[in-house]
Amino acid sequence: MSLAIIDAREWQRMFDLRTCDRAAQDGPVVRMVRRVLERHPFPGDLAELSNRWVTDVALEFIQEYDPRFIFLAYAQQYYRGRYSDMGPAERSRLLSAMAREVERFVERSGFSPVLVGTGDMTPRRGAIDVTRLDGLAVSTHWSARYAGLHAPSGRDLRDLAAEPGLDRIVPKSEWMALYDDWSQAHRVPDYLLVAKEGFTFTTLGQVHRHIAMVPAGSSRRIPVSTHLGRAADITDVRGIVEAGLAERRVALILVEGIGLAEFPWPHTAAANGRAWHFYEPGDGQYLTLASGRHRVFDYPTGYKYFDEIMEHKEFALSGYFTAIPEGTLGRAFPGRSVAVGNRSMFMHLVPGADISMECFARNLYNQGTMAVIHREEKF
Amino acid sequence: MRCFYCERRCELKDGSYGRCRAYKEEDGKVVERFPHAWSSCGTSRIESVPLYHAYPGSRSLVIGTAGCNFDCRYCSNAFIAKEDPERWQGAMIRLEPRQLIGAALKLGCQNIVFDVNEPTLSLPSLAEVSVQARRAGLPMGCLTNAYATEEATELLAGVFSFFNISLKGLSDAFNREFIGIPSAAPVLRNIRRLAETSHVEVATPVIQSVNDDELDEIAGFIADIDPAIPWHVFRLLPEHQMKEARYPNIEAVDGALTAARKRLHYLYFHNFVGSDWVDTFCPDCGALAIERFSLGCGGDMLRRNLCGEGRCPACGRGIPLLAGPAGERRPA
Repeated sequence: MSLAIIDAREWQRMFDLRTCDRAAQDGPVVRMVRRVLERHPFPGDLAELSNRWVTDVALEFIQEYDPRFIFLAYAQQYYRGRYSDMGPAERSRLLSAMAREVERFVERSGFSPVLVGTGDMTPRRGAIDVTRLDGLAVSTHWSARYAGLHAPSGRDLRDLAAEPGLDRIVPKSEWMALYDDWSQAHRVPDYLLVAKEGFTFTTLGQVHRHIAMVPAGSSRRIPVSTHLGRAADITDVRGIVEAGLAERRVALILVEGIGLAEFPWPHTAAANGRAWHFYEPGDGQYLTLASGRHRVFDYPTGYKYFDEIMEHKEFALSGYFTAIPEGTLGRAFPGRSVAVGNRSMFMHLVPGADISMECFARNLYNQGTMAVIHREEKF
Repeated sequence: MRCFYCERRCELKDGSYGRCRAYKEEDGKVVERFPHAWSSCGTSRIESVPLYHAYPGSRSLVIGTAGCNFDCRYCSNAFIAKEDPERWQGAMIRLEPRQLIGAALKLGCQNIVFDVNEPTLSLPSLAEVSVQARRAGLPMGCLTNAYATEEATELLAGVFSFFNISLKGLSDAFNREFIGIPSAAPVLRNIRRLAETSHVEVATPVIQSVNDDELDEIAGFIADIDPAIPWHVFRLLPEHQMKEARYPNIEAVDGALTAARKRLHYLYFHNFVGSDWVDTFCPDCGALAIERFSLGCGGDMLRRNLCGEGRCPACGRGIPLLAGPAGERRPA
């Protein structure tokens, strides 16, 4: 059983991650994790100290648990960039602060880093309103460039073809053929709508916030920085990490919302998708990095997520995820592993680490922190 | 002329739009400035709104507009409620009532809830939506601060069949300093009025050392109307001007609710993940009637509804629930 410990500040509760039934386990790992949670309240997604929180928690887990593999995500600059208008000086300051935190971790931990930027951002230029179609357009989980289109009429397709902000309308079969993955055909929308650079979709089902920046077209390639190997493709990263782990302690560090244009460390460029399709920061990209194979369709962009999360579902603390993903790096790794990040949900699901700690934030509302213990026996 | 929608009764003249900036004077009438323009049009579990005794487990189309007639220092939705609605117009979803109902049906929603900002700002549009919603069999509810005039409250009662009314505090000092209104008297008046004919739940955000000393008095006010009115005590996550304020201590607030629990049948304490106080128990025999799980702010969910036919599964006592397609009220 995987244990989820919620810390809502000065108050903790423990649950079975799958069922969300209250759990009462105790032991050295549970006690250690509770202490770390208690000592590190999350400052908030947009807060200046958010990335420092990642480094502080990661360093403490290294001291307490001595992992060989650690997965980190630094996302504050992504949230700030996405939702706040800022000038070049402010953005530069933000990125410098992020870099200092990453470097602080690397210097103090002694881990060999594999640094990955999740892609460049660009100012939002406009929105494509798809709320009045005969069919249903769905935008999922922070996606900006893509929307799924379900059961469109001929008129919908004609009108959309004339939409100036739209780059392409991709039939389901063409999209799935691109990755030769037909496993989730029942969930994949009939069409994928792809916006031109800088455009987003206005769809039903969203609660709207002002969006300042969105993933740029240059995110077709992402920066990877490491002396452990050379990644030509996003799917190469896992192999590089695993090969490194055979000899040393390795940290896979994701730096969100930064691409080739702004990456502050020496790097090479890796393909971030195929042909016209590239990953935005999100579950597909994280899963691909952690599993070494493309994972476009685990939660396909534009699927009707609301049909799955409305009823009582298992893994209620895991957002839209309906299971712990298979085939991820941490699940296969026999040594100790930890994941820490200011990116909700992904930390306890994607890397597959023994122990994870993440912010429990939804729509930027800071609910506290959550740690998940998948495995205790290595302690 | 003066606006008649909320108790501020702003003067609308010479192109002024009043405090909320949602209305203007035109040809001697108060006219909505941005009709049928929605800032949100999404799906939600009704428990997330939160509404615990209306259509448990149902899927709601959640809609909202922009702006507010209050000036809460801790506002959780300042990015939209504190903004001049005019600034939001470029990003609004424009759906006429028939299209909005179509959206609700396409998204598989069983009701419509207005919950992002204050519905009093958009009453003419909502009245039009309610006509179509009624035809489609979709009941409508809302979150409201209930600072409406008596006239507008009658309009609210005609549009919505269920309410979660935010009673933020009782004292004039609190309301002046933290909410920006002189008194909660109109809110109290409207809670009494709406509870006469509609399903009403009440929510109170708790700010430690600011309004937690009023919890017993608020519980007394609700109990005086009907002890079966569900009361949601919210652990406030301060935002906006109070972003740096300390989060209320959960155990301290829980302790402060001891007396209130004896007066009210359905008291819930939540707005934080994993709350222990979100289930419904029978006031007579104490049996579990409805089990929920709290995911904190905007994320509560139904786990099990054991109230077949709106009755306690153990002793058969009535549990007040709105249920069924027509939204029939089942008072205890």
